[in-house]
Amino acid sequence: MARLTGTGLVADDLYLMAHHEVTGRPYLHHRAVGVGLAGALLAELVLAGNIRIRAERIAVAGRAAPPDELARTVLGLVLSERHLVPDWLAFLARSAERDVAQRLERQDYLTLAGSRRPWRADRWVPTDADCAFAPLFRAQAALDPAKPVTVAGATLAGLAAACGLGPRLLPFGPKGARRCLDETVRQLAPDLRELIALTQAATDRLLLSQRF
Amino acid sequence: MSRTQSQPTRQSHVSRALAADRLGIPAVLFFVLAGVAPLTVVAGVIPTAYQTTGLTGIPAAFIAVALILAIFAVGYVAMTRHITNSGAFYAFISNGLGRITGVAAALIALLSYSFLQVGLYGAFGPGAAAEAAAHLGLHAAWWVWALGAWALIAVLGLLRVDITGWVLGVLLTAEILVIFAEAVSGLVHPSGGHIGFGTLSPADLTSAGFGTFGVLAVVAVLGFVGFEQAPVLAEEARNARRTVPLATYLALGMIAVVYAGASWAMAVHAGQSRVVAAAAQQGPGLLFGLGGGLLSSTAQFLFLTSLFAAALAFHNVVWRYMYALGRENVLPAALGRTGGNNIPKTASLVQSATGLVVICAYAIAGWQPMTQLFFWLGTTGGFGILVLLALTAIAVVAFFGRYSHGEGAWCRLVAPALAAILLTLIVVLAVLNYSTLLGVGRSDPVAWEFPASYAAVGLIGLGWGVLLRVKRPHVYSMIGLGAHAATGHLARTAGEVSR
Repeated sequence: MARLTGTGLVADDLYLMAHHEVTGRPYLHHRAVGVGLAGALLAELVLAGNIRIRAERIAVAGRAAPPDELARTVLGLVLSERHLVPDWLAFLARSAERDVAQRLERQDYLTLAGSRRPWRADRWVPTDADCAFAPLFRAQAALDPAKPVTVAGATLAGLAAACGLGPRLLPFGPKGARRCLDETVRQLAPDLRELIALTQAATDRLLLSQRF
Repeated sequence: MSRTQSQPTRQSHVSRALAADRLGIPAVLFFVLAGVAPLTVVAGVIPTAYQTTGLTGIPAAFIAVALILAIFAVGYVAMTRHITNSGAFYAFISNGLGRITGVAAALIALLSYSFLQVGLYGAFGPGAAAEAAAHLGLHAAWWVWALGAWALIAVLGLLRVDITGWVLGVLLTAEILVIFAEAVSGLVHPSGGHIGFGTLSPADLTSAGFGTFGVLAVVAVLGFVGFEQAPVLAEEARNARRTVPLATYLALGMIAVVYAGASWAMAVHAGQSRVVAAAAQQGPGLLFGLGGGLLSSTAQFLFLTSLFAAALAFHNVVWRYMYALGRENVLPAALGRTGGNNIPKTASLVQSATGLVVICAYAIAGWQPMTQLFFWLGTTGGFGILVLLALTAIAVVAFFGRYSHGEGAWCRLVAPALAAILLTLIVVLAVLNYSTLLGVGRSDPVAWEFPASYAAVGLIGLGWGVLLRVKRPHVYSMIGLGAHAATGHLARTAGEVSR
């Protein structure tokens, strides 16, 4: 059964933040969700010490395989071919939403609900609304200077804002939450800061080139 | 020990997958043409231009301007390959002529697209009022219908764009088919029984003096607005070196053929010597009258949907400009923030507020919507785009003057320099003959007020650019980055940390 503490993986938390806690409907355009989750999947590898990011390039930092299957797959991909981070974001974004949903389904956080209308695709819905809402509180610490924030929490909040979830997250913070979030992100390691900035740039590029 | 991965492998699985997800020539072409809304120009701009300017060389002007823009596009698409944020005029101008000039260009672009967007309500209102009175028995003032369209666009502007993209595509196809059918019908029934080619003659471009060409060129440029959008998709194109140039030239060619052909057909059907009077009498009916029955009714209905689609498209262009400038902090940062559905709500609402103010002002003052709102603001928007085209051509020369980037002399110097000279000449001629363009007396203040508005915002932009350089150098350093402003912010932060 799903737990309030979550899976401890940034992409899982970001997925739950990007979808309604009861209906499972996305808050953002699916391309924006994909880019955000692609950034989160790379962030998981950075946080696990598998890769480093410098000047839009990925450097292999450690070859120890991550325990999670999806993370292992992503690591295998970034080790197998050489591309810049924006290209990896675009590539991973294509399937990130489905991949992360399936991972959450395996952990009992989501279940695939069939649509009553034949022309509509099936949708993953949270099994527990409280568990689906909990990531917002984990990211919330990044908005309040009075609260201690973990690196994963700050990364989650930064990626959420980068892909367009700022309006969903910021109302849960105190006055000046936006400035606090910017400051918290600035305190992150250069890899994560760059990844968040590149995720924001990828989202902006999609928006300005009318891809959503 | 870490190993840095630097060189992408060729034809890899990832590369193939990314290429498949990117846009080919048809998609980019469709994107450009969908924003052009051809029936708006053919039924709205062309008859009003015949009427207001009293000039008949409009078909020839479309061809001449297409050739000039084709020369301009050589350097334009070449520069697209070497700069980021290549979808915006001000990014080209920032990279070529400096960031201060870039800020001025950004404000000129905002004003131009805003004029173009708001002006469309001036044609939609009367058109919808006439249709509703004729077919539904509803009688309401033009501004009531204009406000209805405004409200719908204000709402759609806050929704996700993929909804509207599909609608625009269907409308575009229908519009081109109807224009083609109307033009053929008009040519089949020529005035006096024979088809004349006088309006296609280069001699007609200067029929009332050399300055006439400037007036006609502004009208023609207004028709081509939208072609410049192809580089917006440079980073999303399958092959930026091939896709964007080909889509740009194809768009130019198609627009030129459709507009020159339709305006020529109108002149042939009404008679070259009578087309100005016919346009004054019939307005958009000059096109609708080419065909009859169902074709005419369809064209009239599509004219309204075309105006609406164009207004929505320009609304989206304006908020994208505002968003990019907000991301760079050149304009207030609130304009660079998105709402819950990835749409920049503040930027969209600001443009909606502008439209509301203008419609109300025209309604209260009792100004004529078709000529004083649609044509005056539309052509002034087109004039602004012309100014930006001229500045961009100069910027291309300056950009490649510093470093060739491996481009040949034709792409980096000859074509853009020639385009810069021709476009600057047109700007000067247009300013000198602005009263003819608007159809007012030489002493009428609007003849200088409209072009002067660009000088005013240009000066404000220059001042703001200087202020940014002195007071906020971190913002100044990001001017022109657009979507890449986020990584620009990062570089600044890294710089501060290292210090």
